[in-house]
Amino acid sequence: MKWLAIAAATIGLLLVPVLFGDRFVFVFIQMLTASLFALAFNLLWRHTRLLSFGHAAHFGAGMFATIHLMRLAEANVLAVPLPLIPLGGALAACLLGVVAGYFATVRTGTYFAMITLAVAELIYALGSQWEALFGGEAGLSSMRLPWAGWTFATTGEVYYIVLGWVVPAAAALYFVGLTPLGRLAFAIGDDETRVRFLGYNAHRAKTMVFALSAFHAGLAGGLLALVNENVNYGAFGGTVSASVVLHTFIGGSGVFLGPVIGAAGLTLLGALLSDVTRLWLLYVGAAFVLMMLYSPEGLAALFIANLRLWRELPWPSLVRLNLLGGLAVLAFVCTTVFVVELAARALTEGASATAVVLFGTTWSLSSPVTWAIPIALALAGHVALKAAIRQRRRLEDAVA
Amino acid sequence: MKFGVLTAFAMTAVAAFVGTPLPAAAQLKVAVIENLSGPGSATNRLFAVGMKNGLTLVNKAGGWKGQPIEYLEYDSQGSSSVAADKVRAAIADGAHILVSGGSSAVAGQIVEDVRKQNLRNPDRRVIFMNVGAEASDFTGEKCNFYSFKYAMNAEIRVKALVTAMKAAGALGDRVFSINQNYSWGKDMEAAITRYAGPMGYTVVDKVLHDVSKVQDFSPYVARIKSSNASTVITGNWGSDLILLVKEIGASGLKVQLGSTFLELPGTLSSAGASTLGYYTADFYLPEAGGAAAKALFDRYKAIAGTLPTTSEVKSVVMAQMLQAALANVELGPKVDTTKIALALEKAKVQTPIGEISMRAADHQAAVPLVVSVVSKDASFKVDGTDMGFKPVKVIPGPEAISAVQETCKMDRPS
Repeated sequence: MKWLAIAAATIGLLLVPVLFGDRFVFVFIQMLTASLFALAFNLLWRHTRLLSFGHAAHFGAGMFATIHLMRLAEANVLAVPLPLIPLGGALAACLLGVVAGYFATVRTGTYFAMITLAVAELIYALGSQWEALFGGEAGLSSMRLPWAGWTFATTGEVYYIVLGWVVPAAAALYFVGLTPLGRLAFAIGDDETRVRFLGYNAHRAKTMVFALSAFHAGLAGGLLALVNENVNYGAFGGTVSASVVLHTFIGGSGVFLGPVIGAAGLTLLGALLSDVTRLWLLYVGAAFVLMMLYSPEGLAALFIANLRLWRELPWPSLVRLNLLGGLAVLAFVCTTVFVVELAARALTEGASATAVVLFGTTWSLSSPVTWAIPIALALAGHVALKAAIRQRRRLEDAVA
Repeated sequence: MKFGVLTAFAMTAVAAFVGTPLPAAAQLKVAVIENLSGPGSATNRLFAVGMKNGLTLVNKAGGWKGQPIEYLEYDSQGSSSVAADKVRAAIADGAHILVSGGSSAVAGQIVEDVRKQNLRNPDRRVIFMNVGAEASDFTGEKCNFYSFKYAMNAEIRVKALVTAMKAAGALGDRVFSINQNYSWGKDMEAAITRYAGPMGYTVVDKVLHDVSKVQDFSPYVARIKSSNASTVITGNWGSDLILLVKEIGASGLKVQLGSTFLELPGTLSSAGASTLGYYTADFYLPEAGGAAAKALFDRYKAIAGTLPTTSEVKSVVMAQMLQAALANVELGPKVDTTKIALALEKAKVQTPIGEISMRAADHQAAVPLVVSVVSKDASFKVDGTDMGFKPVKVIPGPEAISAVQETCKMDRPS
């Protein structure tokens, strides 16, 4: 069953350039690199419970190292096949990871987070000032050179390079958890004092995990640089560090593939929604807050909990539960989107606005119909939610 | 795809049978890629607003020989990576011309993407029109036949500023240069130093400070004081400009100030009366443009509901440049971007403060600048304050433009 799902996903990913146009292949590439970045970040959090707020430093280091290598290749100084160049980015990030990790992992918790944040800020500040290395505001750029009959001019060809790196790298991250180092890292996350008491060098283990995480983050960055063929010091910015945290926790940090759900989902949402509404970040923020409040384990944990129920309970009652729950969520989402978009449009038009165009229809702000719709939707959501909760109680009683 | 080919074939066959009607002219699509939701979007999105309304005005005035130009809009979120995605989306949606202005980081990505798109897809070339990203690289190392820069740069701004301040007797002979420590600030510092000799002042001290991080400018003001400078020249924007000006005002230091971004929305209202008497250089129309500017502003207000800001005016004028160029390009079944690019090089537009033209050598526009002084006598008040910008001197485009950079090596179509 598990292997079947993996095989289906692999075939699906291989077929992307055949099934979609360039524009969506590009979105898929961004989903893949964001996924690898989130997985790398989560290696550190899920095992050792170290929360890095500055992982953009490693992502950006991978981007810049890759662009520099591409530029060297373009200038005929370096003869490396193009698909191998992101590895250089990963190594550069790993080097940075060893140094930054050595210092940062002396501490844990908040202090660790502050040190990683400081390192990222430091590099960002350096990036804006050291033009020779980071290219200033306009950034550095290069162009992909052909190799072995491939021109890498189309997005589809580049997609396969990215896929060819991301899938093995993700697998490697999974298997790291099964090695002695991975087990030790889990133990450190549980109780570091005990690990030290057992005679292990916890600091060295944490540095190693940090460097591994940096390596994969750098690989993700390097792949993105290969695709964008351009990078500027904004890659080190706080939004990049924040987005990987968001991706990981919305997706679910407790499950290996959780960050992938978050990263791929939010990247896709960003690509599709940002041209539709200017408020899409507000929705993502709201989703994050709700997620942390009601399902701090993330989407993946929700999914797995549900999967477990499917094995234990009669499915007709579960279908009902999921339908009701889904309806409630849908109704609340529709209400929120309608009211927020209406308000935003009314506010931008100014105090004199009487009607607002939304979803291709004109809504009069004084008409009762305009306000009856969200109220009715919210009521419907409320009823569905109540029914879902009742259904859930009934199921829980049946199990108990 | 197959279906598309078959349909096209069938339609051609039908057309051939019925008789040969004129092929429908392809519609020109202009895609704005701008920061609409990220940090700084409040000021950056004005370029998009201006372009949208500018194209509406152009379409009202006949568009491209009677055919309307289509406006598309994409959100770069202020990130160059997202911008890379939106460039592909825009091209996939059929855009022929890309427009951006809010950030040199995003423009840097677009310039490069356009260059590569045109190398790899010679049958689907696109044009980039840069309305506000001022990094000098775009007409230097990154200059490209299909990229047109209507934005100014540090040298253009400084040249105009010191020329006008000298003529007004406000320059003094001891200049203190304070700028943000990144490519723009460094460009500014270099320009301030370069014009010391020709304009007869000495740069008594130079400071580069962190961008948008300094909360307390008093150490810098103390340094200005101890340098005994007569004039401070700065390329700062946003909080770095507001806090600097306020600190100078609070310290009671008597010093003249020349700047480049005082007219950005919110600056005058935040910095307050300390700005009175200070100079700024920009493409700024309202008072200097007289009746012609008023007519343009009225036309704009009729469709937008508000008077345009400087950024919006820049977009509108750029849309007019495009229309002027299109007047010399024949409509056809396919939009020929190379012909449009050649026409853009020759296009000229008479703005209320003078002519704008494009220099073919590096695709830097010769834009006229207005150097103005913050005053309560200005006829257009800004930001709801009782202050505004009173024009001191208009520098015509050909005088304002900076020299062609040696690093610009442009491949022209043969």
